[in-house]
Amino acid sequence: MIRIDKRRMYHLDWYLIINGLLLFGIGILNLVSATSSFYTGSYTFITKQLIAFFLGAFLVILIINYDYRVIAAQSKWFYLGVLLLIVLVLLIGGITGGAKRWISIFGISFQPSEFMKPVLVLFLAHKLHERKRDNMPLGITDILIPLAVCIFPTILIVKQPDLGTAVIILLVCLSVLWFVGLKRSTYVVLGSIALAAPFVFWKYLMKPYQKMRILSFINIDADPSGFGYHAKQAMIAVGSGKFFGKGYMEGTQHKLQFIPEHHTDFIFTVFGEEWGFFGSLVLFIFFLSFIHRCLKVAQNAHDELGSIIAFGVAAIIYFQFAINVLMAIHLVPVVGIPLPLMSYGGSSLVSILASIGLLLNISTRRYMF
Amino acid sequence: MRDGFVPRDKFKWCTYILIVTLAVLLIRLWDLQIMKGNEMKRLSEQNRIRVKKVIAPRGIMYDRNGKVLADTRPSFNIYITPEDIRDFNQTVDGLSRLIDMDRDDIADKLKEASGFPASFPVKIKSDVTMDEVAKVEANRVYLPGVSIQIEPKRNYPYGKMFAHLLGYVSEISGEELKKKEYKNYAPGDFIGKYGLERAYEKYLKGIDGEKRVEVDAIGREVRTLDFVEPIAGHSLYLNIDADVQVIVEKALEGKKGGVVALDPKTGSVIVLVSKPAFDPNKFAAGLTKQELKAIASDKNRPFMNRVIQGRYPPGSTFKIALALKALQDGVINEKTTFNCPGGFPFGNRVFKCWKKGGHGRVSIHRAIVESCDVFFYNVGLKLGIDRIHEIGDVIGLNKATGIDLAGELAGFVPSSAWKEKNFGQKWYEGETVSVAIGQGAVWLTPIQLVQLASFVANEGITFKPQIVNRIISPEGKVVKTFEPVIASEMKLNKEVVKIVKEGMKGVVNEPSGTAYGSRIQTVHMSGKTGTAQVASLDKGKHLGDHAWFIAYAPAENPSIAITVLVEHGGHGSSASAPIAKILTENLFKPKVEIKEAHIRDKN
Repeated sequence: MIRIDKRRMYHLDWYLIINGLLLFGIGILNLVSATSSFYTGSYTFITKQLIAFFLGAFLVILIINYDYRVIAAQSKWFYLGVLLLIVLVLLIGGITGGAKRWISIFGISFQPSEFMKPVLVLFLAHKLHERKRDNMPLGITDILIPLAVCIFPTILIVKQPDLGTAVIILLVCLSVLWFVGLKRSTYVVLGSIALAAPFVFWKYLMKPYQKMRILSFINIDADPSGFGYHAKQAMIAVGSGKFFGKGYMEGTQHKLQFIPEHHTDFIFTVFGEEWGFFGSLVLFIFFLSFIHRCLKVAQNAHDELGSIIAFGVAAIIYFQFAINVLMAIHLVPVVGIPLPLMSYGGSSLVSILASIGLLLNISTRRYMF
Repeated sequence: MRDGFVPRDKFKWCTYILIVTLAVLLIRLWDLQIMKGNEMKRLSEQNRIRVKKVIAPRGIMYDRNGKVLADTRPSFNIYITPEDIRDFNQTVDGLSRLIDMDRDDIADKLKEASGFPASFPVKIKSDVTMDEVAKVEANRVYLPGVSIQIEPKRNYPYGKMFAHLLGYVSEISGEELKKKEYKNYAPGDFIGKYGLERAYEKYLKGIDGEKRVEVDAIGREVRTLDFVEPIAGHSLYLNIDADVQVIVEKALEGKKGGVVALDPKTGSVIVLVSKPAFDPNKFAAGLTKQELKAIASDKNRPFMNRVIQGRYPPGSTFKIALALKALQDGVINEKTTFNCPGGFPFGNRVFKCWKKGGHGRVSIHRAIVESCDVFFYNVGLKLGIDRIHEIGDVIGLNKATGIDLAGELAGFVPSSAWKEKNFGQKWYEGETVSVAIGQGAVWLTPIQLVQLASFVANEGITFKPQIVNRIISPEGKVVKTFEPVIASEMKLNKEVVKIVKEGMKGVVNEPSGTAYGSRIQTVHMSGKTGTAQVASLDKGKHLGDHAWFIAYAPAENPSIAITVLVEHGGHGSSASAPIAKILTENLFKPKVEIKEAHIRDKN
């Protein structure tokens, strides 16, 4: 079924692959430290993460095998399928920390909202690409359906509640629209909606605990027991790393459990504490060069569809990276967003790998006619 | 890009955004890790390192034969470290449900320690049960800040026995913390509050150690970084004979009163019992406010050490003091007689003798043996109140004896000057008549009357009563020994001593003696009974008289002086003398050798 085309192997973006593997490797090492505490010495987390990685790698090969134009043409079904799963989550989903986020099928539990990100990029690219035959900036009417396609799952995801994923989806959609190019009037309309959106969110969509996070971001000492406490402990962890860090496996803040979710959303605090300013600088350069390479794929894509998809994937990775790290160092409020390739979590990892699969797919076909 | 549908400058913008992102992240990290790095490092250390006090085991108390009267055993105590609390209500309410303690009581404890650093663990409950330990351990994750420490706890193996002697320890109160003598103490510390525990606090306490531990986010100890061993308190070796004391405790059980016995030649206290008593173990475990109130307001006053704090009219035992003074001053001699028709008309009333038919014509010997009141009415009048006061002064009855226990009260023998000063009235001779038989305005404690017995037994010398024989450091070194200290001294005429001693011997050993029923075949005991009339009524019912008995033994070469008091016990001869008999019999049992504990150390 899967043919390995030698020519395509040659055209694979090895720079992207090696940069990605490097990040994942750093992520696994960091996760070993993050998950070994004084209480548990097991490698359950690492095993699960590696299984997810191989699952994702298999998905990458599968994706590369089909032309992205074929995949994009079927994106409606992927979209509807993931949407259905998200609805199912709201109806019968499993609860963690008061939120319904995951669903269990054949004994494997996963978070459908994670997969909405690449699927939506595909579907959006497909829709916008259709609209933009004559290479003209898009007007309001052109983007009504694409917007609806974004906003509908966003609302469902906010209801789970999974504010982090919802925020990423909105930001990615807006970036894609900007990338495709809008009429000036459309920017004005979208801009005013964007200004009003926070109020709508605050008033109708956000739960009290989510509001508390925002408030505790503004005044970190207002909630010393909850989110403010977590944010403060995260800052202490990163800050106490100083220039060269405390050393691998030597971080006390996460090992002594001062930071909740230190293996998922707050994974950067573990890295920052153990590797310090210097290590963080190196990590940032790896991340940004990776994102830059994603943008290169968009720039060199064979056609507009490929370009939009590649840009969307770059946006997903950029926003997740930026918001995740900014949250750990207390520059944005605490929201649950995983750090790509580094946070523990199968759904997130598989989703990111699938997105990278799309990128590789596009880059290998850049010379096709 | 072949068809150029996306303007190049969009990618340029993207590159700018990536550069700006990197700049923002690096500036922030520079601020956190380099500029504030040391501060953050300090905060993370403060997070994980706790300095915990390691309580020193209190010194042990032994009796003269090395029997343990007070030691320590391990106990589980619950602490809260305020700094580790996330949600005050969650921790406090949760704990209150698990350990059956009022929420407000927990909050009060935390408030009491509010002057201390937040990283200072506050003791919430002492000596919790294993069941409670299990419950709290299982719920630790939901109770950030709560910790359980194993610490030594005071243990009194004899329970209620020895209670007034040993005293008790309990948590230092807020008021005590403000006192200068407790300036090195912290909330939650245990201090001696009564008896020897209080009197010898500075020796018994020891020096607490310190432990630097790494804790996790909910305050669980992960590992010890540094440990300074505590130094145990000094041990006390007492002059007390536990075996005899236990027998006396049992003999006095269910009664109210006190017994004290000491060696007249040294002042070493061998037995000291006060009833009713309390259980000192309960205090060490921490009493609730209600329990404390119940004990403090008990009508039987279990907190009162009757031996040193109970002041009663001495009754006929006081006649011994009069006899000594009258004979010494030559007011009477061996042959002086008075007629006792059963009463003594004085002024406009008749003072009765306890024997309705009277004793007839009696001399000093019979007057002591049969406790003739009329004889001593006459003696008292001849002496006058001020000479009675004077002999009281000499024997030391007007002041505290100086026993090594806290809270001793002084006795009182009146004088004309006292009445003049306090009431602006002159002393009436009718009052002297009452005082002559130990009634009226004369108040003495059992420990003072034992000094009266010692004074006779020792022929004019008494020693300060001393419970502790020596203090031993944890390494076994003698820190302090207590040598006999003379408390009172008087040059008594040989003849006088002989007459009074013969009289007191007769009280127990002559068939007409008031304590003949308590004579012992093997040891000659000398004594004097006393029955102090109680004027007060309880709900209209006449309360029984206080029963006294003072004694020393063996009559020929005394090594023990005894006082027995039974409150409302009736007659001294029937209520108190038998207890002195039991005490003496057991003390002089052939197998029980009384060794002076300090002799061994001298060599």
